Amino acid sequence: MLLRIVRSSFVNQKKAMAVMIVAVAVGTAIASSLISLSLDITSKVSKELRAFGANIKVEPRLQGIAEVAGQRRYLRSEDLLKIKTIFWRHNILGFVPFLYTIEPSTGHTVIGTWYRKSIKVPGEREPFVTGASEVMPWWQIKGRWPESENEVLLGRELSSRLNLRRGDRVELFGRDFRVSGILSTGSKEDDAFVLPLEVLQKLSGLNGKISEVYVSALTTPMDDFAYKDPEKMSPREYEKWYCTGYVTSIAKQIEEVMRGSRARPIWPVAETEGKVLKRLGLLIYLLSAVSVISAALGVSTTMIMSLLRRTRQVALMKAIGADRLNTVLIFLTEALIVGFLGGLTGYLLSLLISKYIGVEVFGTPLRQRAILFPLSLGASVLIAVLGAYLPIRKALAIRPALILKGE
Amino acid sequence: MSIIEVQSLRKDYSTAAALRGVDLVIEKGQWVSIIGPSGSGKTTLLNIIGGLDHPTDGKVFVKGTDINALSEDELSVFRRENIGFVFQQSHLIPYLDATENVMLAQYFHSLPDRKEAEEALKRVGLGHRLTHRPSQLSGGEQQRVCIARALINNPSILLADEPTGNLDRTNTRNVLELLRRLHQEEHFTVVMVTHDPYVTEWAERVIKMEDGRIITDESVSG
Repeated sequence: MLLRIVRSSFVNQKKAMAVMIVAVAVGTAIASSLISLSLDITSKVSKELRAFGANIKVEPRLQGIAEVAGQRRYLRSEDLLKIKTIFWRHNILGFVPFLYTIEPSTGHTVIGTWYRKSIKVPGEREPFVTGASEVMPWWQIKGRWPESENEVLLGRELSSRLNLRRGDRVELFGRDFRVSGILSTGSKEDDAFVLPLEVLQKLSGLNGKISEVYVSALTTPMDDFAYKDPEKMSPREYEKWYCTGYVTSIAKQIEEVMRGSRARPIWPVAETEGKVLKRLGLLIYLLSAVSVISAALGVSTTMIMSLLRRTRQVALMKAIGADRLNTVLIFLTEALIVGFLGGLTGYLLSLLISKYIGVEVFGTPLRQRAILFPLSLGASVLIAVLGAYLPIRKALAIRPALILKGE
Repeated sequence: MSIIEVQSLRKDYSTAAALRGVDLVIEKGQWVSIIGPSGSGKTTLLNIIGGLDHPTDGKVFVKGTDINALSEDELSVFRRENIGFVFQQSHLIPYLDATENVMLAQYFHSLPDRKEAEEALKRVGLGHRLTHRPSQLSGGEQQRVCIARALINNPSILLADEPTGNLDRTNTRNVLELLRRLHQEEHFTVVMVTHDPYVTEWAERVIKMEDGRIITDESVSG
């Protein structure tokens, strides 16, 4: 009988029901798309933020004390590949090693690095492309990266000081080099000669040695737990911390594979990312809540209108024995059906919206997760039930004696 | 044996008093007509007896229960267990057919039983209108459906508020004859509000109200 009553409501109020289903569908679609976005936003935005450069710096441990003792310490080139073997290896987007030396006769700084290097990572089908072009995308070269052992890149400031231009010749480590391009980075490379890492290692007699490595990694935004001192964590906490992609735990794992290294987050970059992601997350949840509330208001208004048209029927049902539960059941069942139908439509709509958001904003579609279906249905039922709350209260407040008075 | 007992009943609205101290005892199985002009308080009295309205003051005992002490849900249970309502307008759910309208009262009471509902309609002479919707029935037929619905759960009291108010004389007589037959067969108590003297002729007792008070209370010999 309940279903008969509810079915009749739908059949006799097609327009009102359609309006409610559309309201639920739109609210669900927006909320689901935003939630879908929030699930992917960390990796998507983090990837975008990698344009700001590396977020982890790796350098030799105890470098300062060793230098005081006159023993400069180095990291080893052979350990570089191990960065792509850590637990969070898939989050390592790129790394770039640097070797700093002084040209003995002129006193100029000479830097060795990778500009664009393709590395074969064990277990990976595709080669891993890394270097300054990936990690420091703002580097600008007028000319080109050295292609032979006799070519060198010249920093912008040093070039103007030495009055050297592209194609000019210069002597380094007793060998003749041709300037293949002028490098502009806004950093110490502007005042140095830059050579391919392996070339400088050979010239300077520092085979297999590097001074520091900059790593660009996708990370989980830092939260309160992430700032805890790992040394003081319980084994369970430590495991949770280690297995979460915090910049600190990734740095720790890099330290473990690079002998004699100390890996530290570059805090301004890491913290900015964390803040941006946190605020974006908050914004998304607020917008989701607003869309859910707006849809619920739409449902509520339409359902109240529908109730006004059925006041007499509700009053009659109460007069012939319908109690509060009977009354609530009628409207709640209607709301649940509206929620279910709106949820299905909203879910399908959210697939289109999230695809659009992904492609338009991030260049790739957002990942479609299985959890989104139950989530959409949950959101739609929530919208419908929230929307039904006021009408149900109004229905419960109907006094049959006033409504059924003979006219 | 009394089935309804009303003591010093008052009902005040913001603008006027509808009942000004009504005392009344109705015996089980009686057919009582309450007559009076518009605004005399007869419908208010009926609604309060049926638990559809609350008095400002006074007590109403139905089958020994002080119904003003009941919660809304308890009143709903009380109504569906003890009272059958028939209103002036044949309040039927427009999208349900005659049988389903009767089954609605069964649904709120216990379990709908189509056969039983159809039997009830046959008893009121609507065996040929079982699947007709209210809009396909005449005024008299609609009121018969309301009577079948009111009696489907075997209530001990039938409260009727101007049940023939919208019917012509022929249909009025048909409905009253039907009610008399059922009343004789099932022995329920009838309290019927009317302003039509013809309707009061069918009652065993006529109570006349004016200005929120009972002014006469007479038994009518059969």
